[in-house]
Amino acid sequence: MTAMRAKTLTVAATALLALIVGLWAFRPPASRANGDKDHDKEKGGHAHVPAPLEYADIHVPLSVWTDHAMIARGKGIYTTRCAVCHGDQGDGKGPAGMALPLKPPDFRDEDGVAEMRDNYWFWRVSEGGQVEPFKGKGSAMPPWKGELSVEDRWAVMAYQHTYSGHNGPHVPWEHPGSIAVGRDIYAMACVPCHGVVGKGDGSVGPMLAPRRAPQPRDFTSSEFKFRSTPSGQLPTTADLFRTLTEGVRSEGGPMTIGLRGHRIMPSFQHMPVAQRLEVLEYVKSFNRTFWDRQEIKVVTVPTPPAMTPDRLAGGKKLYADAECLACHGERGRGDGPSAPTLKDNRGLPIAATNLTRPERFKNGARPEDIYRTLVTGLAGTPMPSYADSLEPDQVWDLVYYVLSLSQDQGRTAGTAAR
Amino acid sequence: MRMTVGTLLVLLAIVTVGTFPAGVAADEEPISGTVKSVDSAAQTLTLEVASKGKTRDVVVHMKPGAKVVRFARSTEPGKAGFIEQEVPLSAVKVGWIVSATTKHEGNREVAEQIKIVVER
Repeated sequence: MTAMRAKTLTVAATALLALIVGLWAFRPPASRANGDKDHDKEKGGHAHVPAPLEYADIHVPLSVWTDHAMIARGKGIYTTRCAVCHGDQGDGKGPAGMALPLKPPDFRDEDGVAEMRDNYWFWRVSEGGQVEPFKGKGSAMPPWKGELSVEDRWAVMAYQHTYSGHNGPHVPWEHPGSIAVGRDIYAMACVPCHGVVGKGDGSVGPMLAPRRAPQPRDFTSSEFKFRSTPSGQLPTTADLFRTLTEGVRSEGGPMTIGLRGHRIMPSFQHMPVAQRLEVLEYVKSFNRTFWDRQEIKVVTVPTPPAMTPDRLAGGKKLYADAECLACHGERGRGDGPSAPTLKDNRGLPIAATNLTRPERFKNGARPEDIYRTLVTGLAGTPMPSYADSLEPDQVWDLVYYVLSLSQDQGRTAGTAAR
Repeated sequence: MRMTVGTLLVLLAIVTVGTFPAGVAADEEPISGTVKSVDSAAQTLTLEVASKGKTRDVVVHMKPGAKVVRFARSTEPGKAGFIEQEVPLSAVKVGWIVSATTKHEGNREVAEQIKIVVER
């Protein structure tokens, strides 16, 4: 009797087990939802990827974060436009947000908010979820750039920021975690030359060009050679990105022999774009002036005109009139009468560029690169800006003449650009 | 032995009770997207939905008696929260962003409620 009862129980248990396995195996597929199923594992369901270059320079003025008038303005906008999803408490639990597959972030999450850089935040508010990688994750966030002014977007960010409980400006030096990825990349790739605190005093730097310029850039100073901005101004993030991507060519030194094209700074074109953007955010954090800029002017390079013999003749005359030959020499070999006396802003001897070797032009050898160099100058070096003394047409004349100096030597600009 | 089998049965029952509703619930999935078209006669909306880096169109069928709601601030004094306002399906415009919890019935995605997220 007991054995029979045990047998019955065993059969029942087996049947129940089979039912469970069946229910598990044949449950409906859970892949129709368009939200990121793993979003709960991330802070607020969102990855804080770097803002793209077109937004990288849009830093919120420091005063905005603590300006009561701006916060009040932001509250008004938030209440009418954002709270339906993000919630009146900023917890991402607004009635419309609760129903979304990809939940809005919780602005009360202090750590999650601290990881968001201001330019990332501004990008998100401006473009919403209609750009990658958020669109592909199924974000329903609408873009606000068409409806809210830049100041309105700053104001709403300042109000959202209050939910995190942080009272100061939302900047990297208040939230080191926001640049932690860039810091790690910098430590691995940049410290040997640029130094731990970005002063250009890394241990390898002096070996690149012993007791001579160029030396690694001091990121804490306001002098950056390679810019698209007018003389005396900081570069754009796109300028820094270009330098990082292409590296810096030069005459080379003992440590540059292994670097392709005798670059004094290697090209980081093989580093993923997101990592390059991350490290640049860290580099910018060495110089708080990047957050003080209200307006960034960029030198626009007009469409190159066709090269004609007249242009070359005009360029040759300008080359003499603008005293280019004093440093670069009559034939452009960098052997002008002033060349031996040239020094950079650190007092280090600096060579005048040999214009017959465009493959070694530090700021690039494409016509538009040379145009930009002539108009912006190279800060910290004797190379001046000709923005105020030459018309764009004259600059092109000079560009073509400079390029012709290498052609005289059997080289072409095409070769140089490679 | 009897105790062991009995305990096993109880455990299995607990697991079954816990598992079964999860299996049913998995049939309901949240979805959101941009309205591409509205067919009031057929009581359907076509949504452009992004998922895992790809965009696809999903036709959402309204269950008989299903509602479309928008959220508005309460005008009642002292109540600042949101209230649901029912709107007809025909009021939904192309370009709006909506969300719904749909149930897979046959080859159709069926919703009991459509929530308007963004009207623009």
